[in-house]
Amino acid sequence: MKKDSKPRTGLIWFLIDIPRNLIIGFLMVYRKIVSPIYGDVCRYFPSCSAYGLEAVTVHGVIKGIGLTIWRVLRCNPFSHGGIDYVPDGRRIWPEGKTPKIMVMNHPPIPADEDAADAARGA
Amino acid sequence: MTNFFDLLLSPFRYVVSWILMAFHELFTRIGLDPNSGWTWALSIIFLVLLIRTALIPVFVKQIKAQRAMQALQPDLRKLQAKYKGKKDQLSQQAMIAEQRQLFKKHKTNPLSSCLPMLVQMPFFFALFTVLNNASKASANNDGVGALSADHIRSFDASSIFGARLSDTFLNTLNSGSPSAAVIIVAVVMILAMTASQFITQKQIMSKNMTKEALEGPFMQQQKIMLYILPLVFGIGGINFPIGVLIYWTATNLWTLGQQFYVIRNNPTPGSEAERELNVRRAAKGLPPFGQKKVDEAAAEAVVEAPKTQRVQPQRKNRKKK
Repeated sequence: MKKDSKPRTGLIWFLIDIPRNLIIGFLMVYRKIVSPIYGDVCRYFPSCSAYGLEAVTVHGVIKGIGLTIWRVLRCNPFSHGGIDYVPDGRRIWPEGKTPKIMVMNHPPIPADEDAADAARGA
Repeated sequence: MTNFFDLLLSPFRYVVSWILMAFHELFTRIGLDPNSGWTWALSIIFLVLLIRTALIPVFVKQIKAQRAMQALQPDLRKLQAKYKGKKDQLSQQAMIAEQRQLFKKHKTNPLSSCLPMLVQMPFFFALFTVLNNASKASANNDGVGALSADHIRSFDASSIFGARLSDTFLNTLNSGSPSAAVIIVAVVMILAMTASQFITQKQIMSKNMTKEALEGPFMQQQKIMLYILPLVFGIGGINFPIGVLIYWTATNLWTLGQQFYVIRNNPTPGSEAERELNVRRAAKGLPPFGQKKVDEAAAEAVVEAPKTQRVQPQRKNRKKK
């Protein structure tokens, strides 16, 4: 996806982003308070609430909520789960201001030592 | 916003009220007093039984997935070894990601997803609005959903132990002439549902989690929640009509029983519950949980080594079990 040329800052973006930030606040509170009660039940990575938070952060309220509803519906006892990242968005952030959820949802996965193990075993 | 929420709930409200009406009708037909609070309470309890029974296939699927987990154990252990000592958040996230990928690869997933809970929520809210509106609807001579005005009047006036099903702890307290019965019944129910919720959680944490999970990053939060959650429910409970408390207590007791069954018969591999199960199985002469095949192979190896005739029939006995 084509990226923005600069981060979305300034008064106009602040106003446009109010609904988005309200939903972000709600999701953060939900993840702090409700998620721990619920425990680790999500079949996907990132978990549905983490997906929702990133989706709204990256895509804004309308697309973000749409993506999140679609994800929650897919996360049912009859699906296999797995890794399912939020699609890329246009938004970019100032240096060092990438939202924490973006970092947490995209951890670098270290290479397996399987190959080395197999070599040692053989 | 309230109207939008109401609109969303209305189909659920209709379903819930219809089921309540149907059970109430059924119990009346078999001779229970239609205006008794016990008949209404029983209808609510059967509504719970119906919803939870409908969710049994989901629950069975989960148990099957938990059994299939045995096959994943070597891979899971490898994963744990890979992330051993890496306690920082990013590594933990990477581990969860890899674990989910592993479940997908093996087409089995022991995690319940949130759908089972999500499905129950609109029913709970719908029941809440049905029971909560009963007093007002009764005064206006209205029906609610599938329940006719007569039903609503009967429900509104009905009581158990002298406590009206449509009354709440707070309402009676603020009414000027508080009903001791409502207060006592509400408090007993709040205690019962808080206790069952607490025991369910505690049971999982003390018995059905692996050592790794118990040391994991979410544990501290979970421990705090274990004590906060009953408090939240207790406070919420004083706002709920007795009828809703009946629903909630019944559903919590079902969860407790279901949990007890799972922990006893299908414990998480590597948990305290699994160790206890294996002790019980050993006492009955059974191999450890989930290791039937391995053990039979081992038993066969032992049997074949001495090559005596006396051992042979013993093995046949074993196979029959």
